[in-house]
Amino acid sequence: MAKEPNEQDAEEEKGGEFDDFMADISQEIAQRVESLDAKPKPTPQPAERKKTPAVPEAGVIVDWPNIADRMIEEMR
Amino acid sequence: MSVVNYGTREITCKIVYYGPGRSGKTTNLQHIYSKLPEERKGKMVSLATETDRTLFFDFLPLDLGTISGFATRFQLYTVPGQVYYAATRKLVLQGVDGVVFVADSQSRQLAENIESLQDLHLNLAEEGLDPRTLPLVMQYNKRDLPAAEISPIEELDETLNFRDVPYFSAIAVNGGGVFETLRSVASLVLSRLSAPAVGEA
Repeated sequence: MAKEPNEQDAEEEKGGEFDDFMADISQEIAQRVESLDAKPKPTPQPAERKKTPAVPEAGVIVDWPNIADRMIEEMR
Repeated sequence: MSVVNYGTREITCKIVYYGPGRSGKTTNLQHIYSKLPEERKGKMVSLATETDRTLFFDFLPLDLGTISGFATRFQLYTVPGQVYYAATRKLVLQGVDGVVFVADSQSRQLAENIESLQDLHLNLAEEGLDPRTLPLVMQYNKRDLPAAEISPIEELDETLNFRDVPYFSAIAVNGGGVFETLRSVASLVLSRLSAPAVGEA
């Protein structure tokens, strides 16, 4: 994959290397922009969180860890 | 850093040249600057000490003009290679899109190359960037030195390029390999362009 360094040609046009670079990059950008589709992606909406009161009302257990706890509570 | 902005139709890429002191980072930028056509020549900002060592960083804005309807700018930076400028290197890496690691091919500089590469990985990680996925290109510089003084490319690559990223041999002092390296890292950065979410553009 290693590329041999180019020897500098004294008579090389000053912008030659830059022009080559520009040509490659322009092509790359054109392809990339085309493939991206100009339509921006929609921002993903955050999932709606389950609304739970910060402090449960007195006597009401909002979240039952398991069914056994709930049955015990119901039988009280 | 936002790479493509559909709202303002701008593409901006920040590329940082990283590596040990005296490996040729500033020389890379100087060659690129010397090849820019006059109409595109902005100002290369370079802060150096009396002995020409990079004191803070070099900055070369590369305005490529409008490509496919997008105003395209590359911002090229170097970091000071000396070990004691760690804070500056970290600062320059903020928002980086791609890195060129300029290694010094001299055999006696191998330990410095390794230390600098480790420093790069550490600083990227601290910036929240994944060193395993960030666009990276290796440049093995100073290939014009006598063969007895430099490590073979294969040896350098085996030691430094464990990510198996593109690598180039270079003689930055006369421009050899400089634009090839830039083209490669630019290509890697551009391949990661993605459309921004609504609201970002």
